[in-house]
Amino acid sequence: MPGISKRRFLQLAGLSISDRILPSLSAAEPAASRADNKVILVTFGGGVRYSETFAPEGLHNIPRLVGLRPQGHFFRSCINAGVLSHFNSTASIVTGNWQRVDDFGFQPPAGATLFEQFRKQTGAGPLDAWTVATNKSFANMGWGSDRALGQPYGANVVLPKQLLLEAVQDVVKQGSAGGVADRDSVLRRLEGVLDSGYEGIGWTIFQGGRKLDRQVRETLIRGLVEYINGPEAPTSGDELTFFITREIMREFKPRLMLVNFWDMDVAHWGSYSLYLNAITRTDRLTGMLWDEVEANPAYRGKTTVLILPELGRDGDINAANGFLNHRSGDPSCRNTWLLALGAGVPRGETDRPVHHVDVAATAAGLLGVKAGEIAGVPLRELLL
Amino acid sequence: MPSTPKLPDGLPISFAAFTSDQMKDWGLLFPAERSYFERLFKLLDRTPLAEVDDLFGPLREIERGMGIDEKTFPKSQFTLAQVDFLNRNPHYPEWRAAVAQIFARLDPVLDSEVARAGHARLVVVVAPSDLPADPDRMWMRIRQRGKRIAVDAPENGNEFLPLLLTGKPRSAGAPTIGQLFAAGKHGGPYTSWIVEAGSTLSPLGAPAAAVTSYSYEALAPYRKRLMGEVQKIVEAQETPGPRQLSARLKQLKILASEGSVAKDPILAEFARAILLSGNGTLLINNTFVEWATLQAVRRARPSVAVIGFGIRNKVKPFSSLLIYEDQDATNPIPSQMDTLGSYVDLEIFYQYIWQEFQKYAEYRANTAYLFVGDGMEEMLAVAPPDFPLLATPGPLPLPAVFGHLKDWLGV
Repeated sequence: MPGISKRRFLQLAGLSISDRILPSLSAAEPAASRADNKVILVTFGGGVRYSETFAPEGLHNIPRLVGLRPQGHFFRSCINAGVLSHFNSTASIVTGNWQRVDDFGFQPPAGATLFEQFRKQTGAGPLDAWTVATNKSFANMGWGSDRALGQPYGANVVLPKQLLLEAVQDVVKQGSAGGVADRDSVLRRLEGVLDSGYEGIGWTIFQGGRKLDRQVRETLIRGLVEYINGPEAPTSGDELTFFITREIMREFKPRLMLVNFWDMDVAHWGSYSLYLNAITRTDRLTGMLWDEVEANPAYRGKTTVLILPELGRDGDINAANGFLNHRSGDPSCRNTWLLALGAGVPRGETDRPVHHVDVAATAAGLLGVKAGEIAGVPLRELLL
Repeated sequence: MPSTPKLPDGLPISFAAFTSDQMKDWGLLFPAERSYFERLFKLLDRTPLAEVDDLFGPLREIERGMGIDEKTFPKSQFTLAQVDFLNRNPHYPEWRAAVAQIFARLDPVLDSEVARAGHARLVVVVAPSDLPADPDRMWMRIRQRGKRIAVDAPENGNEFLPLLLTGKPRSAGAPTIGQLFAAGKHGGPYTSWIVEAGSTLSPLGAPAAAVTSYSYEALAPYRKRLMGEVQKIVEAQETPGPRQLSARLKQLKILASEGSVAKDPILAEFARAILLSGNGTLLINNTFVEWATLQAVRRARPSVAVIGFGIRNKVKPFSSLLIYEDQDATNPIPSQMDTLGSYVDLEIFYQYIWQEFQKYAEYRANTAYLFVGDGMEEMLAVAPPDFPLLATPGPLPLPAVFGHLKDWLGV
């Protein structure tokens, strides 16, 4: 059994130690030169309401973000004024334009994405821009429809949960005695899926063809091993997203990443407690991602992390079915928040409304590239 | 079977498409739904033409700007394609506002007709006995709207619900409050409902009474077949997306062997719609109860509704990846009850259910809501001031509560 190694265990433990002993560098440290800057966009995918996060009654669900808020810049009103579907919402974030393409990801985002602008203008390589997401429709999130750019300049898109899905379904079909409770069986199948047919599960690793680049494969396997053999039963797709993201950061040190957590979309199942648990888990994983930024020399002091919900969810009053859905267009769906952390981010809070499309413009500015003709405008508070 | 009424001429295209789509299976609509459309059309018919033009003018204008025409909105068609068209259109918020404005003018007139024909109604919401909370921690989101009433809970917990809902011990087989209403002067088919997670409420009372009943547990054969069918459809990859999947799911009707509601086409279609269009209704018992209740209110407007929640199971590893698999078969770890999670889930559902009833004129001024914990020594009553329980000192024996409910409903 490829269990967790002593070294990996120590690394895990080391992360928690570093949280306590390393000084916080973010607030005091000025931004490095733009050529070295890194940007990580973290979205609470699936959607989360203010009332379960930064509203007074929701703060207990997000202890890590509440703790990080004073270290960063908090935008109290970040508005999603676009189509309230998952794909269009996130596509608006990465393009800087309100997207009105197919809700289920059957079309790429209209125009160019931030990933393409970044890679084209800086000459960054294919390992320098990544999207780690959950929803299968996000396979098309790496590049847009602009023919002058497109796939050659796009981001690698990794959908870890789709990989897991494939493996778990195989285990079920094979009728293993332990079912999906048999972690070894699931892991063996995961590795098998990586060896064959990863294209069918949404992977768009830069090397074409059926074989994964060896380095990429090994990186992903490490993330999978940590996930499967973690201290708790692996129940969360977002934990896998986190482990894969962290391995990518450690191995390839990309300058631009989108990490789309997704567990909270369990709200559609109609269980408020599962939705709250997922929010708290995403908060914890986002905190761990920040810990990695602080602990990893390739990121510390030169990385800006922008954290925001992809969208809200319907309000409790007069909506079709409250937290279960996110299409009503009421303020609870549209009014979210944005927390900026890291390099060049002055501490503070802003009341003026900003928008999801401003994220791409801001990230472009932080990376020292031009965003092109987009609706979003850079957040002046972050680009001093 | 009454025939589908003719759509009034000159309606805005999207309004007409939506309305005719809603009416296209006229025979599968509840009487309350048919009554609504008939009253709506009569109202439009008797309204002067200039006023009708004034009512629909803003929506027509917005439709033009959105590119809504007979091609994008074919007659009698309002599918996911049209929903998608609206959602992605930059003028969608204006469209929604214009539609809301139309109903803001129509609804008061229609509501006043309903209110004139109003009668007392009753909603009983039962929390399961396994819930780990005492009355001080129950109904936190709505308790300020009502009054907690002390009751004498029987020593034998199994008798709590029979005494509350029939006034007699279980062995007496006395009719329930819902059955009495259904047989009374305001009763009839679809007027009295039971929606429950388990199978504790449905067997109470006299057999073969005209109460509409849905149980998540009793629908297990249908649910499991649906999950299997959906899994097959997804695995076969013959349906490229949700739109196509939706069309396939419409064909998966309940079989006679899978539940008594199969005998009634209206109730059979309601069961299918609840299980296949309400996100987690196939997977979580309490989601089924909440969504089925909301849909019953929206569509059937029951006069008496008894709603029984349960305890949902804890989520097993990977279950979010195996949505349509039998969780007991895929994972040998025994299922465990999630009592705390269920408590959190129900606290918000009490609010949603109360709100949904209160949206409709039928319920606003004449409905008594009893929020009950099975075996609990207090219940919450949210009701008009003349609901007799509000003025009665407790603790009350459950047969006395039943007596007050009977008086309230006039049965």
